Amino acid sequence: MIWEVFRQENAGEYHTHCGNVHAPDAEMAKLFAQIQHGRRKPTHSLWVVPQPEVHEVDDEDTAFGGTTDKSYRWAVTYDVDASFAQEVADSEREQEEAARSRGDD
Amino acid sequence: MDVEEVKERAGPREFSPADDMPEEYRKAATRMIQFHANSEIMGAYLERPFVRQSPSLERKLAFSAKVQDEIGHGQLLYRAAESLGVKTRDEMLEELANGEGKFLNCFHYPMDSWHETPMIAFFVDGAAMRRQATLKKTSWEPYAHAMDKVCFEEGFHVKHGEHILAELAQGSKKDQEKLQEAFDEWWPRILQFFGPTDDKSTHHDFAADVGLKQMSNDELRNAFLNAYVPKARKYGLEIPEYPRIEENDDGTWKVREDDLDWDEFFTVAKNDYEGSHEQIGKRHDTQEAVEWVRDVLDDHEQRPMGGAGPAAAD
Repeated sequence: MIWEVFRQENAGEYHTHCGNVHAPDAEMAKLFAQIQHGRRKPTHSLWVVPQPEVHEVDDEDTAFGGTTDKSYRWAVTYDVDASFAQEVADSEREQEEAARSRGDD
Repeated sequence: MDVEEVKERAGPREFSPADDMPEEYRKAATRMIQFHANSEIMGAYLERPFVRQSPSLERKLAFSAKVQDEIGHGQLLYRAAESLGVKTRDEMLEELANGEGKFLNCFHYPMDSWHETPMIAFFVDGAAMRRQATLKKTSWEPYAHAMDKVCFEEGFHVKHGEHILAELAQGSKKDQEKLQEAFDEWWPRILQFFGPTDDKSTHHDFAADVGLKQMSNDELRNAFLNAYVPKARKYGLEIPEYPRIEENDDGTWKVREDDLDWDEFFTVAKNDYEGSHEQIGKRHDTQEAVEWVRDVLDDHEQRPMGGAGPAAAD
């Protein structure tokens, strides 16, 4: 049986997928995950999940975020100053980075 | 883990469901996150009528997106609260519907006209965002993770709110008058958003000691006033004479607490204000109206194979 492995480097961070291991049960999967994925990279915690329990939907199955112009839901659309409050400016910057990653424009 | 160890270790995103947290921490965190989740839902209910009442298609799209975001934030936060193992989401939604659940003071007041919308969409959302940005460093990891997504989305809300404010402020004389009226009415409530000054806040000390809360009410109110008073002035809004606020030389503000109506505030806090009954009633009715959806989902979940197969074999 295959188990997908998610590693969290430090407390408070997100568990991110880092690979998978063969194991007959959860206890062995945790052990093999430690050996394979927890030793060299900094590790605070590992999750192991049976591969058949991981269900996927990808961008061939669906259009994430829809197919219409949704510029009205992004901060950058509104031509008022965001720099007056750090948290508003940060949010706008994160949204702009996400737009670039999505390949908008 | 005992409370002393929690206080010693308390830091940003320090504790997760994998840690054995003392009951005092779990209860305090549940109280705080449930309040936050309830406020997201009740804020959305206050703004929902303006999806229909928006003056243009662009505003309608944006208001609709915003209300959808706030409901989503509520969902994220109920999950973060649930992860403390004190209350289930069902219990928290039930408490909100039956009037036991507490939420932000500003969402207990009716909002009737379009000219009032920037009071919530700019000033209250701006105040909330100031507070939420500090909560990215809260000690309960699932709460901090929820804040990552909430803060990512909120920039749109605040800028859209300011865009409406700018439009009305540059509108007709009548628009400007109605905007000022709305501001006069909402300003004292907005000042009370951060609660009483620190010495009157009962939950602050413990929440701060265990890292749940990162800044005091006064610090947050100061930061908010420093950023938002100049904005109000920029758009020609006159700050009402009462409640009196004075800027100190060091960039902080003195708010004359006695000028604010704390009886009303604590009536609101107990869900006993006239508007509380009206707003909670709307939530109660909706909760009841979609009970059949929850029942269908629960039935589906309890079938063998998690609902993957037909209910009965032929």
